[in-house]
Formats: sequence, C-alpha cells, structure tokens
Amino acid sequence: MRRGLISWSAREVPASVLDARVGRLQAAMRAEKLDAVLAYTCFSQPASVTWLTHFVPYWNDALVVVFREGPPVMLAAFSKRVQNWIREVSHVGEVMTAPNLGRGAVGLLKERVPRLASGAGRIGIIERDDFPWTVAEPLVEAGWGNALVDATPLYAAIRQPADPAEIGLAQHAAGMAGKALDALPSNAGKASQSLAAIEASARCDGAEEVLVRIAPDLTKSAVLQRIEEDAVLGARYAVQLSLAYKGVWVRLVRCVSSGAAPVSWEAARRWLADAATRMTAANVASGPQGSAPGEVAAWSVEACLGNEPLTVIAHGGSGSARTSVSRSLPAGALGVLNVQLLTKDGPWHGSVPFVLGAQGASTKLLA
Amino acid sequence: MSKSLSEALREERRARLDAAMAKEGFDVLAVVGNPWRSDGLRYATGVALTEGHAVALLERDGATRLLVEHPMEAERIAAEQPELKVSWSASAVTEAQRLLEGGKGKAALAPRIALPFGLASTSAAAQSVAASAMLDRLMMRKSPAEVEAVRRAAAMADDGYKIFMQAARVGRPEYELVADVEAYYRSRGCPDNFQILGSGGVEVRGMHPPGERRLAPGDLVTTELTPCIEGYYAQICRTLVIGEPTPAQRRAFAVYNEAMEAGIAAVRPGTTASAVAKALNDVFRRFGLGDYVTSEYTRVRGHGLGLYADSKPQLLEDVNVVLEPDMTLIVHPNTYHPEIGYFVHGDSLRVTENGCEVFCRTPRELFSVPVH
Repeated sequence: MRRGLISWSAREVPASVLDARVGRLQAAMRAEKLDAVLAYTCFSQPASVTWLTHFVPYWNDALVVVFREGPPVMLAAFSKRVQNWIREVSHVGEVMTAPNLGRGAVGLLKERVPRLASGAGRIGIIERDDFPWTVAEPLVEAGWGNALVDATPLYAAIRQPADPAEIGLAQHAAGMAGKALDALPSNAGKASQSLAAIEASARCDGAEEVLVRIAPDLTKSAVLQRIEEDAVLGARYAVQLSLAYKGVWVRLVRCVSSGAAPVSWEAARRWLADAATRMTAANVASGPQGSAPGEVAAWSVEACLGNEPLTVIAHGGSGSARTSVSRSLPAGALGVLNVQLLTKDGPWHGSVPFVLGAQGASTKLLA
Repeated sequence: MSKSLSEALREERRARLDAAMAKEGFDVLAVVGNPWRSDGLRYATGVALTEGHAVALLERDGATRLLVEHPMEAERIAAEQPELKVSWSASAVTEAQRLLEGGKGKAALAPRIALPFGLASTSAAAQSVAASAMLDRLMMRKSPAEVEAVRRAAAMADDGYKIFMQAARVGRPEYELVADVEAYYRSRGCPDNFQILGSGGVEVRGMHPPGERRLAPGDLVTTELTPCIEGYYAQICRTLVIGEPTPAQRRAFAVYNEAMEAGIAAVRPGTTASAVAKALNDVFRRFGLGDYVTSEYTRVRGHGLGLYADSKPQLLEDVNVVLEPDMTLIVHPNTYHPEIGYFVHGDSLRVTENGCEVFCRTPRELFSVPVH
C-alpha cells in the first residue's frame, strides 16, 4: 500500500495539463468511435488514472470513466467521507461513491450512453485482460459484453510522449533517488542499514513510494533481491531504488564497494550514459548500443504505457530467458534503461531514466 | 540445518492447501495476485510480489508454475525459491489462459476478488467461488507458526508507535512522521507497513496517506500502524494530542476505550463478528453517539489480520462469520466524534479456546506529546 506523501500541486501539474491529457484520449476515442473508456485504478494498477487525473489510490480501488466530452467521472469504492481527500489530491469531474464499482458503472453508463440499450455503444477498457472481473461482471450481465472492447492499444498510442509536467516530476524523482542513494552509509554491514537510510532520505524529501532491491554480495550473485528480514552485505553490493513522486516512477542503481571502486565500474557508468544518450525512437527496441566494457548479461527498457507504472518495452542480453517483448516508443517518451554487465571485476548494475530523443537528437538523461 | 520460519510456513501452508484441494476435488489451482492483493499468492507459494500481475498454477501434490510480468521479478523469485518454475511474459493472464485451456483435470481459480477479465471465461473461473471459500477458510484460521508471525508483527507495531510518538512534533509535516516510522521498520528488518494518519481537530473526518499539513499545538494525531513479519500483518491504532488533552478529548477517549474493551471482551469462539461489533457499538449508543457507528462516519469496527492488512472477517453488525480459535483480528472502534474529530483506538489479538489473547502491549491511553 502507498504510504508516502500523496498530494497535488497545481504548480507542478496544472489542471490544464491534466485536461489536455484527457483531451488526447477523447480525440482518440472519437476517432475509434468509442463512447466511453474505463480506467481502473488500485495500488498496483494506478498509472492510467494517475496520468489522467493525478489520483493515486493508497488503498481500495476506483474506476474513472472518460466520455467523449467533458471531465472524467470517478466511481470510488472508498467510503463517502474520503471524497474530500480525493478532491484535494486529484483533478476530476464528479466523484461518486460506489461500493460496487461495476454496478456503479452500469448506472452511469445507462444514463450517459443511452445507445448502449440498442446494442450500438462501444466501451473501451484500458488493459481489459487484467480488468477485475468483479467490476466487469455487472457490465456483462447488463448485456454489454460485446460492447466491451480492449482499449489498451488506443491508450498506449496516446500515452507517450511525456509532457513537460511529467518530465518535471520524473526529474525531481530522479534527484530524490540520487540523494537517497548518496545517503547509503559507507560502512553498512547489513542491508537493513542501507534500507533505513534510503527510506529516511526519500520519504523526508516527499517520495510517494520507495521499492528497494539489493544484491547483497556481488561476488556471490548478481540477483537483485527483495529483502524480507535482513542480509549481510559483502564487500561489493548493488542497490536498486525504484521511487515514485506524485505518480511518476524512476529507477536508479548504485553499486557499492567497501574499498576503491573497480576501474571497470567507472567504464560501465560512462558506457551506460553514452548508450542511453544514443537511443532513439528508431533503435530503442534494439537495446543499448556501443562496445560495452563487459558482457551485457541483461538489459531492459521500461516506460509507462498502461496501468502499470513501468512496463517492459524491450528486453534482451546474453543471460536472459528468451521472451519476446518489443513495443515501440515515440520521441519524447519518458523511460528507464536498466542493464546488468559482467565486467572483469564481476557483475555491475545500472539504471538511468531518460527522455527519448528524436532522430538526430540526443536522448536526455535525467540522472 | 533447521528450517527458516518462511520455509516452515511455506511447507505447512502447501500441505494444508494440497489437503484442501483433495477434499474439493481440484487437480490444479490457479492463484492470481498483484502487489495489492497478493495474500492468496503468498499463501499458496510464499511469493511476495512487488510489480505486475502473477498467476501461480499449482498441481495438487505436485509442481508449481509461476507466471510473472517482469524479468527482474522472475529472476528474483527464481533465486528465492528454486523449486518454483518461474517464467515471465508481457501478460501473465494471457499465458495462464493458454496453459489452463490446454491443461488436464479439474482446475479452479482463486481468489475471486483478483479474478481478471482475461481468465473469466476459463473452466477454472467457474470454480472460483468454491476455490475462494476454500482459500478463505485456510487463511482465516491460523496455524501456530502463522500466529507466531502475527504476534511478532504486533510487537513491531508497539515498537513503531513509540517512534511515531517521538516523531510527532509541532511544525513537522505529516509525511515526515511516516518517514521516521518506515526508516525504523526497515532498520528492524520489517519489509512492509501499511500506515495512514490524520491530524487536526474537529474538521478531521478520517485518516488518509500523509500530506503536507504541519502539526500544530492542540492537534489530535491519529494513526494506524500495520507492519508485517513474513507477510503477516498486525495493527495498532492510537491517538495522541500535541500538548495537554482537553476535557472533551479526555471524555471522548474514555468512550472509545470502553468500547474497545467491550469489543475485546466479546471475542471468543462461537460468537460472531456481528456480536463483537454490536458490543462496542452499544457503548457509543449508550453515550448518545449511535449516529457515529454508521457507515456515514466509519467503515468497519475491526477486521481480520493475516497476509492482507484488512483480511476477513470484517467486524460489522451485519457480518455473521463465526469466530474460531486461532483467528487473528483487530478490534478498533475508530470513528468520528462530533466534539473532537476523528479518533482511533485498537489492538490486535488472537481468538483462543475460551476468549482471546491480546497481542498489543502499548498502554491504552490518550497520549500527549509536548508542544516544545
């Protein structure tokens, strides 16, 4: 569950920016002849609703209904007394309390899309396959099963590129993440010390959420682990920090050495920065280019295209399982490049958030 | 070498699950989850998911296949549990649909609350009501090892509240209080905590995630802390005042404390969730505060504790779940009070053979922290 700062600053994300995002979706809906789009949100699938309304659920779930015209309507499973808080932290039209989101949606759609009754309406659902059946079932029982179409490609097509407000939040998040990694104690012997230092720094700076994976001893394993209780840190370890600030997620990794950092690590950092800078919309699916100072064991490019904060766009590497994932990103898209190298000094991890450059222009790195 | 608590829990839960599947006649159980609702997945596999959706396919008395949506999650989980067959793809739901349609034997899917659209038409989904009830029964009544995890989590909640009281100082924004608590929990090896809070006066109608409001003299500061050990959550709810409590705040505290104690006194095997809720609500009614135990002002009067912070059963006057030994619960008469604002007070406990064992040790007081 989210437990950090959740607030909306109209200075950082003006209402006009959120209106413009909804407008992008509505233009695509009109082109595809969709009467409404349903965007579901909960703690683990918040991203589309956050992008459209700035709302981030700390618990419970909600459904945002976007019609061809006008502001989005939010059906919230939260109790009625949470409505004021929802209005404080988001920009949305009507907020309706709906303990049963599906039944609430049926009532709203009957009223706003009367042609559904004659079998003529079309309702898009972002990430329909993952949409909770408890919400969909009343819509199907209303006789609209054939009207429920998958709006995932439509939404993904308008979600990127990022606007300046989103890039600003990502830049701020990257700064917070870098500062939190700088706070890692130099003499930490246990993972818990590192985790505590990161939490204190990031949350006092206003992070909405912090997820940390640690490879506690790079001489034994390069796997970034979720630490359940504690782990002894070796002389070389890696800390991956995924940090959210006002709905925008970034990842950074810091490899730590108790003595002098291996020379190959500095070469790896330079290569990662150079490879990320040279990514473009045309070559992003091919992964990092250039001669790496070691074997590229794994790489992935992630961006937000749907309900997940970060989705794998492309993936590869010598040690990676063969999984075919390759989506495209336009110039101006906000993303993260993750790599794992096998250098002559052992494994090395790196991550960098970026804004993808157009053909002939450099990709901008945010850290 | 002795087994770790997590290994012991995993093996114990799997044995119980296999026995329950045999009783229901399920050959394969598909357990779906995501980082929000991962309790069923954690029960069945021991996996704590951090990103994306996942589907576990468990063969009765056989292997488990886990489908996730991120290569880093797949690599991590495979390293944690080498016995699992872990793979990742762009859509765990699509992959599960393919495998379920090609599978043999009677398949079932749970929990129903996490059933995705993409799996709703499978034959396994047709068994989701029965399979979810089976999983609920298993998860509500805890084994000794599970009880021990909740007990340790409750001790962690007590310790965390001390940190919260130290953090609550005039001028600090709400989110810094949470930062102190979270940093403390990570330093103690506690990987997760659900926490909401409220600060202010009579205008405050509930708790929420931390905002930018800065604490001021006279504030009532509410919080519920919900740390976990091995995935098992326990909770404590307490309220403090910045400065000396007013007579109205002291009077209100007396009502909430009496209500909580009445609710706890009602907990025993054979009674219902409804009876516990009624016991504490009757105290409010006796003080003329009956309007404030309705859904207009409060959500639940307590709930189950386990692999989800807000597990079944909910303590409400219309919930007739019968309490059984080794269920773990929190009893909390949290609601709005018209004179002082939202107020919280609650303790975690276990239902015993003849009553209950309260886990929380934090004194039942209206705490006060100095203004300066």
